[in-house]
Amino acid sequence: MGTVHAKSLDPLPMHGRDLGVNPDDLVEPPEMEHEAKQEILENKDVVVQHVNIQGLGRTKEDLLGYEISDVFHAKNLIDVMKKAHVARQKLLRLGIFKEVEVLIDTSDGTDALPNGLDVTFEVTEIKRLTGSYNTMVGNNEGSMVLGLKLPNMLGRAEKLTFQFSYGTKETSYGLSFFKPQPGHFERNLTLNMYKVTGQFPWSSLKETDRGMSAEVNFPLGMTNHTLKWEGVWRELGCLARSASFAVREESGHSLKSALSVQCLWGVCFALQELAGYTGGDASFLKEDFELQLNRRLFWDSVLSASLWGGMLYPLGGQPSCIADRFYLGGPTSVRGFGMYSIGPQSEGDYLGGEAYWAGGLHLYTPLPFRPGKGGFGDLFRTHFFLNAGNLCNLNYGDGPRAHLQKLAECIRWSYGAGIVLRLGNIARLELNYCVPMGVQSGDRYTVFL
Amino acid sequence: MNVLVVSLSLSLSLCLLVCLFLTSTAAEPWPETATLYQPLKEDQILLSDCASSLAVQAYLRMCGLPVQVAYRANAEYMSPSGKIPFIHVGNQVVSELGPIVQFTKAKGHSLSDGLDDIQRAEMKAYMELVNNMLLTAELYIQWCDDATAAEISRPRYSSPYSWPLSNILAYQKQWEVRRKMNAIGWGGKTLEQVYEDVSQCCQALSQRLGTQPFFFNKQPTELDALVFGHLFTILTTRLTSTELAERIKSYSNLLSFCRRIEQTYFEDKTS
Repeated sequence: MGTVHAKSLDPLPMHGRDLGVNPDDLVEPPEMEHEAKQEILENKDVVVQHVNIQGLGRTKEDLLGYEISDVFHAKNLIDVMKKAHVARQKLLRLGIFKEVEVLIDTSDGTDALPNGLDVTFEVTEIKRLTGSYNTMVGNNEGSMVLGLKLPNMLGRAEKLTFQFSYGTKETSYGLSFFKPQPGHFERNLTLNMYKVTGQFPWSSLKETDRGMSAEVNFPLGMTNHTLKWEGVWRELGCLARSASFAVREESGHSLKSALSVQCLWGVCFALQELAGYTGGDASFLKEDFELQLNRRLFWDSVLSASLWGGMLYPLGGQPSCIADRFYLGGPTSVRGFGMYSIGPQSEGDYLGGEAYWAGGLHLYTPLPFRPGKGGFGDLFRTHFFLNAGNLCNLNYGDGPRAHLQKLAECIRWSYGAGIVLRLGNIARLELNYCVPMGVQSGDRYTVFL
Repeated sequence: MNVLVVSLSLSLSLCLLVCLFLTSTAAEPWPETATLYQPLKEDQILLSDCASSLAVQAYLRMCGLPVQVAYRANAEYMSPSGKIPFIHVGNQVVSELGPIVQFTKAKGHSLSDGLDDIQRAEMKAYMELVNNMLLTAELYIQWCDDATAAEISRPRYSSPYSWPLSNILAYQKQWEVRRKMNAIGWGGKTLEQVYEDVSQCCQALSQRLGTQPFFFNKQPTELDALVFGHLFTILTTRLTSTELAERIKSYSNLLSFCRRIEQTYFEDKTS
């Protein structure tokens, strides 16, 4: 903001006797002038003549034109400041600048208008290459994770990321390329290539996925859509010699080539995946949805309700693969039951199911008597919950009424209470006492979770 | 004296434990649902796997143990050792002829009980000869001979999978076998040398067999099953050239041996 010099020094009148100068006399007129100028500036029409960006290195200017173009439409000074702030946020969310500073000044030069303004964005670009190195320990395995990021690779906010994880048991890596559409950052394209390994002790299964995917994100009105094609070479194997024969029968290689559509609409998330029509061995139609509602109640408590469901329909007469099926149970879905330990199983190995639903009702309240209020105590909450769910295989020959009936019988549910500790956005620790009900033969349950 | 007593009691308890273990595994009779798994017969299975599978089937028939044969495209990956064939008996999974022989012995069925120690050692030696010569030659011809690999082995091995996975798996298997051949010194051999090795192996077997019905006395043993499996498969499998089959046909007693076992144990089987 330009400095406004409020004082103007008029020559002192020579009076005979009145030699003492009253400071109020001198100060008052300039103040009035200052106030008058303030008023004028607020209502005064201004024209933004130039918007400059300084500090660009490899970033291409045509990309930024879209983000800052709105500033030109400002009508008065307050508007200019607001629009400049919005443009600054837009420039920062591109992920290519470390810092953006805004400078608004009156315009000067040969074509300067009396009410013209120049807005300058002074930017500092992120370094061309950033790296990170972490070590992780967990699940009887230690690993070293190396990450490399090339932000703003070609000058239009593209990003190339490479991650490599070297562990005592497995190695995995991934390469990802992200490109937003210039002017519409929410519309973007991501290309991925990866190799990922996973171990699933609840099924005595280990899986190695090598694949590539291409996805396009775009907003459509209120919703955010993602279209994705994924091609994966899956290798399944038994985790231990004692794996059940049903899991042993699933060992081997398969190729999945699937198109999927994802919608995110506020509190609702839906996914549809169709595999088999673009090649590959796996052939199915998979649907999945999730709904979550939160409402703040009296006394700082929050009531949260959530509902999930999904169905897997194998096409082409082939049975479904264990890697495509749904799993249920554990501290994230139905508390009181072991991790993914609900539903069809064989000799202690859980095989997953082709249809499921789960719901939860949670009430979070501050700790009773509020110890440590205002500080550490605020991180803890008491937690009352009611979870329910079911996972089974449907007989697709029967009608929808039979399907609903099958999903409604043998419902597993649990209720209980506990304490939740939220550590920022990083982690969430829960300690609950659960009472599992509706336990079917073969499910694994616990009381303390 | 004390030490003697302690060691005696220790060895007795050890014997008791072993007996208990043996009786516990032998306690379960051979179930009706015993199944042998191998790759798909028409389109997928290769010469070496077919030979191994036939050897195990012949052995089980000789023991009088019924077994169903199941065909799976992923049989190789289902097997705990990665080798074909494997049998699923009760809730146990055992693969390859050697461990299967041990397993049936623990259940009280054995073909080599009547042999003395010298004969048993001789039998083991001949089985090693077949494994090291015949089986390795089969693998060499399948994967190291470019013509056979391109025309027969790769297309058959990759038939259950779709592109591009089929190519990846076929070439991966070929590189693996070629690496193994180099490691055991067969990498530098030519096809003619391999045929010569097969001839020599057949000559040794033919000499041992002589005019007897089986290799040892009048009873078949696991050696008979193994030799039958390999020779019969070579004689009845179509390869790019008939050279291998011709070499075996030159030993008439081996031919009649194969025919005899097929008629005795496989008369209901249509080959």
